Formats: sequence, structure tokens, C-alpha cells
Amino acid sequence: MQYCGDFRTSYEKDAVVFQTPFIKVCMALFLAGLLALPYLLKGEFMWVALQIVIASIGAVGLNILTGFTGQISLGQGAFFGVGAYTSAYITAKMGLSFWLGIPAAGLMTAMAGMVFGIPSLRLKGLYLAIATLASQFILEWIFIRWEPVTGGSYGINVPRPSIGGYVFDSDSSFYYIVLAIAVAMILFATNLVRTKTGRAFMAVRDHYISAEIMGISLYKYRLLSFGISSFYAGVAGALYGHSLKFVSSEQFGIGVSIVYLAMIIIGGLGSIVGSIFGAVFMILLPKILSLATEMVAADFPSIARLAISFEQGVFGLIIVLFLIFEPDGLAHRWKLIKAYWKLYPFSY
Amino acid sequence: MVVDRGNEKKGGGRGDEKGGTGNNGVIKGKNHDSKEEGMRKGMLRIVSMAVAFSFALAGMAFSADVIKVGHLADLTGPTGEVGKPYAQGVQDYKEWVNAHGGINGKKIDMAMFDYAYNKDKAVNQYKKYKEEGVVAIQGWGSGDTEALSATTGADKIPYISASYSAHLTNPAKSPYNFFCAADYTTALRAGLKYLKDNWKEKRAPKVVFIYPNVPYGIAPIKGGKEYAKELGYEVLSDENVDLKAIEANSQMLSVKNNGADFAWIGGTTNSTAVIIKDARKLGLKTQFFVNIWGADETTPKLAAGAEEGTLVMGGSPIYGDKVPGMKQLMEITKNQPQVTHYIRGYVSMMVLTEALKRADKKGKITGPSVKDALESLKDFDTQGLTPSKITFSATDHRPHTTVNILEIAKGKLVFKKSITLPRKAEWLGL
Repeated sequence: MQYCGDFRTSYEKDAVVFQTPFIKVCMALFLAGLLALPYLLKGEFMWVALQIVIASIGAVGLNILTGFTGQISLGQGAFFGVGAYTSAYITAKMGLSFWLGIPAAGLMTAMAGMVFGIPSLRLKGLYLAIATLASQFILEWIFIRWEPVTGGSYGINVPRPSIGGYVFDSDSSFYYIVLAIAVAMILFATNLVRTKTGRAFMAVRDHYISAEIMGISLYKYRLLSFGISSFYAGVAGALYGHSLKFVSSEQFGIGVSIVYLAMIIIGGLGSIVGSIFGAVFMILLPKILSLATEMVAADFPSIARLAISFEQGVFGLIIVLFLIFEPDGLAHRWKLIKAYWKLYPFSY
Repeated sequence: MVVDRGNEKKGGGRGDEKGGTGNNGVIKGKNHDSKEEGMRKGMLRIVSMAVAFSFALAGMAFSADVIKVGHLADLTGPTGEVGKPYAQGVQDYKEWVNAHGGINGKKIDMAMFDYAYNKDKAVNQYKKYKEEGVVAIQGWGSGDTEALSATTGADKIPYISASYSAHLTNPAKSPYNFFCAADYTTALRAGLKYLKDNWKEKRAPKVVFIYPNVPYGIAPIKGGKEYAKELGYEVLSDENVDLKAIEANSQMLSVKNNGADFAWIGGTTNSTAVIIKDARKLGLKTQFFVNIWGADETTPKLAAGAEEGTLVMGGSPIYGDKVPGMKQLMEITKNQPQVTHYIRGYVSMMVLTEALKRADKKGKITGPSVKDALESLKDFDTQGLTPSKITFSATDHRPHTTVNILEIAKGKLVFKKSITLPRKAEWLGL
């Protein structure tokens, strides 16, 4: 979206991520806000903020695969687990550093993702969804049964990271590490989709036969997409494990995969900023609903139980309404809002 | 200091309606304040400032005139059926303590939070509790207990729950976890011992383990199998029945073909009912023995007659049993029969109350001091509401090693025998 007087005279200028000084100021303010968050929030809400940032990484990863490359995956939850267990094993059982655990988690999960992505060469759509569903069950079974590595039914206690003697034990200090990793990975993803690789992903998504005729190797780019997406999932899973200080098989069920799919659908398929909106929405909504029911329960104790039971229903209803009235996701709505203000008050 | 007062009012209004308004004379001055609050706000401000000032003078020790404890419960989630009576037991005992002098005069502020067995909700609420400075938490199932065990350990907040997984009894691994019934593995061992003691035939008895592929199901199997071999059982290959299974025909057929004499069921009430119904349908003669959460007073209704003779590894007496503590419990529940889960919730709060009292006598109540107090419990008498007396130590969080073997007969739970196992060091955490 460009407005009058915005002339671009070179390709470099067209490819700039943050186009105008105004946007740059806005992004700087937004980043400052994120950095200031631990001073504004505490306890429960700090924890929720931490989870949102972690989920953003995972959602961006899934969006690269599903939104940009058009390959559906129902194994995201299990890939989270691969990352969480890898980092847990490296830090807790081998006693190595967190700073080694996180990239190792990403790489290990990328490998797992590429293995389970192989069916995507032959399958697409619903068939691929079912094939990746298998990865969810296989990996879950491994988590609970491969006791020497995963701790089986006992799980693994995971330490928080440290630099020198300083341990990032509080949620607010750990938040900064997570935020730094998230910013780096999200910027990488933003750039990735504007490169040759990113364009190849989108070509595969839009029409795979045409893409192949144009000379795009489906084999390479589908697997690459699975690998990159799983790398993101692995890092997010590892950070989740370190945030909770505990990793067990029950944390990475099919429910997690579904929630992540919901995040990118609500946020907007094929949009990086949409993935972040989706993560914020899906984690904040249950919290807001439970705050609301708590308030209702405090004022009208007689219907408290009813209100709590309704919470899940309302959650579902809001998502359905969203899909009906905002099928292109929150990212689309965000675009409309931006366009409106760009031309305000002379929207001709 | 002012914050403390604010919390106390909130708690009084919401969580413990009875406790908050019940005048028992212990902190009469406070109740007087809160009556005035409604009438004259300006007056209140002066009073509260004065109170805050006097608190400030009195120092930190005085600020704890209300003891904040967290309570995570599942009332509406997948385990709500058993979670609700358990939580009710916890709350009822707290009400009783608050109405009878509290913790050396201090009231327990413990509002229940229904997390609906959603671990994210449990963790969120835990972070809130931590911010509020709770000194201990009454938890519920393996979902919340496992997810929080590392965090509560790091934050030094004792966590008493109803997840009786043996690995939580090892303080080296989970220093702040406690529970008040024999762990799952001990229950399984007790069942094996009881059955072997009553085994008359010459040949080795055959036993099969049926459980769901979740941590709760898997946890006791390893320790149980070792003990079964030690006792001279022939252990058959395992069967998996999911917690949400609606039939178990193939598994039961294999149990039948293998000729199992005994079968352990490590599921919950629904899956147990499915298993024993299908077993009866196929004409199995196998004797079932079920984990503590696998069968209760509701089983006869779920299993429609197939449950006759099934053994349950109980962790408490049955409502109405003639034990000293039952009189008070029946008074509180107004003679309305309660399931055994209620009694275990009740006991769990009784144990925490005792620890709070001990910690308070020694000085300031904090997470570590409550843990120390819990670990100082030696042969603590629950007035017969647990199969035996409770002992915790700094190196061993097994409350006791006694299991009440109950039998379902004519639609009721009937006490058969108490089995006490030795407190072996090598069994800790296994």
C-alpha cells in the first residue's frame, strides 16, 4: 500500500522492510514497550506475556509451512516436544549450556520435521494432514516410552539459562532472552519470505505444477519448508520447556497442534504479523474469558459454576464468529485499519 | 501492610463466605472494621491508616494475621467427577479450622480456583498465587502437580496434591511435593501381596497389567513388575486400554487367552468400567484389582453389575467407618455420605493445618518453614482417616506405606484388609 508522493526509484528502496520514518518510529516505540513490559506486568500476566512471545515463534514457524508453502501440518505439537526434549536432554542430562541447547533443539527438530515431511512429496491437502498426524502419535509414543532419554512418565526437570553466575530465574529476566530470540527469528522469517526461497515457497503453494514447470524443485522446497518450520517449532518448544522448568510427554499433545493451526488461521495465513496476532489472540482470549467468569462469579456466586462451564463454549463461539466475519484473519483487519489511518481524514 | 488487609477482605468476600463473616471472637476488631466500611468510607480510611501504621510499628511478623494458601481444583474438567468431592473435603476442613480457632488464632485464606484440568490455567493461577505470597498450595491431579513440581521446588512453596505418583516422594527430585496416601506403586505392591497371600494353588499365579499409555498409568508398572517377580508371579505381557476407551474386547480376549489369574487396572473409573464389563461379557474368571482412582462408589453404577468382587486399593476408610476422626467428619457433612475422595481431601487439609500450626509456633510462616514442619511430622495421627499414621522426613516424602484393600460387594465398598509394606529405601521414588 503506497500513498501519493511515495515514489520508489530503485528495487532496493522497494524492498525495505520498514518503509517510512513514521513506521520506524512506531516500531522503535513498540520495541521499547516490549522491553518495558517486565516493569509493567508481574506474576501471572508476566507469565502470560512470556508464553505469548514463545507462541509467536512457533506460530511464525507454522505459518512458513502452512501459510507460505501451503503444506498443512498437524504435527506441530510433537515438533515442539522434540525441541523441548532435545534441549532438556542437553542441559539437564548432559549438563551443557542453554546456549547450546536452543540451537541444537532447533536443528534436531528441523531434522525430525524433514523426515516426517517426506510424505509431502506425494501427498497434499487432507492426505498430508493425516500423514503428519501420524508424526504426532509416533513422536508422542517415543516421548513416553524412550525412558533413558525422555525420562518416560517422570519427565525431565530443566534448568533456566545462566550467563556467568547470573541465573535467569525470574520470568521477567527470562523474558528478555526469549524476546531477543523471538525478534531475531521473526525478522529472519520476514526477510525469508522476500527472498528467492520465500518466493519459491509461495509458488509451490499457489500452483505446484506451474512452479515445477518454472524450474522450482518441489522436492527441495517442500522439505526445506518443513525443516525451517520445524526449526522454529523446536526453538519455541525448548524455550517453553525452560520457562516451565519441566518437560513431560503430556505437554505436547494433538491439542497443541490444533491450537497453533488456529493461531495462524485466526491471525492470517501467509502473514508474519498475522501469526503474532494469532498467538496473542489465542493465549490472551482464554485468560480474558477466565477473568470475566471470575468477575461474574464474584458478583453472582449463584451462577459461578455455570459461567465457568460456559467459558469453553464462549471460546469456541468467538473463534467461529471470527472465521465467519474475518476469514482472512486479524492481519487483514490490521491492513484495513492501517489503510484507513493512512488516508485519514481524506479517504477518497 | 495495607496490601495484606486488602487481600484479606477480598478473600473473605469471595472464597470463604462462611469463614469471612463467622464471628468466632478471635479477630473481632477486624470484623468490626469491615462493618463500618460499608457505612462510612472516610472513617474507614482513617481506621485503615491507623491499622497500617500500627502494623508498620509491629513489624513483619504481625502482618501474617491471615495465612494465604492456594487451592487448585478441578470441578468442571475431565476429572471433575472425582475432583469435586476431593476439593470439597479440602475446603470443608479449612472452614472447620477457621471456625475453631484457626491456626493459633490466624485464619486460613484459601479461595478455591477451578482450573478445569487445563495445565495452562493451573500455571497461570500458580503465578498469581506466588505473587500473592501463598505459603503452601493444595493441588489436585497429575496435570497440575507434574507441570508445577519443578517450579514450586524452585520457588520453595510446598505443594500438597492428590497425584500419588511415587517419584514425587523423593525429596532429592521434588523437594516441595507432598501427598497423604500411599503412592501408586505401593498400592500396586500391596495388591500383589494381598493376592499372593490368599493364593492356594501350587502353580505360580499369572498377573497382567492393564493401563493407559499416560504417565499416571505407566508410573507404577516398573516397580510393580519387579515386586511381582519377587513374589513369584508369572508376569504376562501388558495391555493398554486408553482412558477414553469405549471398548476393550481385543485386550480382554488376549487376557483370557493368556489365562491371567489377576489383572491390575491402572486407569480411571470410566476405563475401569469398560474393562470389567467387557471382561464379564467374554466370561473371564480373572480377579481384577484397581488403582485408587480406578474405582469408587460410582463404579457399580458405571459397570452395571460386572464390578462384583473387584478389589480397590483404598487410601482412606469408608464414610461411616468406626474410626475416631469420622465423628467430626460426619458432623461437618451433616451425615450425608461422601465418597472416599472427599475423605482424602479432608485429610490432606488436616495435615497441612498441622504443619501450619507447627510452623507458626516456631516463628514466621513461609514456604520453607511449612516444608520443614511437614517434614517434622512423625507418626501424625489422622484419627484413623488414613490407613496408618503419617510420617514425612527430609529424605523421604512417603506419607505411609499402608493400603486398605477394599472389595466392591453388592454395589458397596467393603473393607477387606489393611496391608502394610516395609518402608524400603530402594523403593523410594520407584
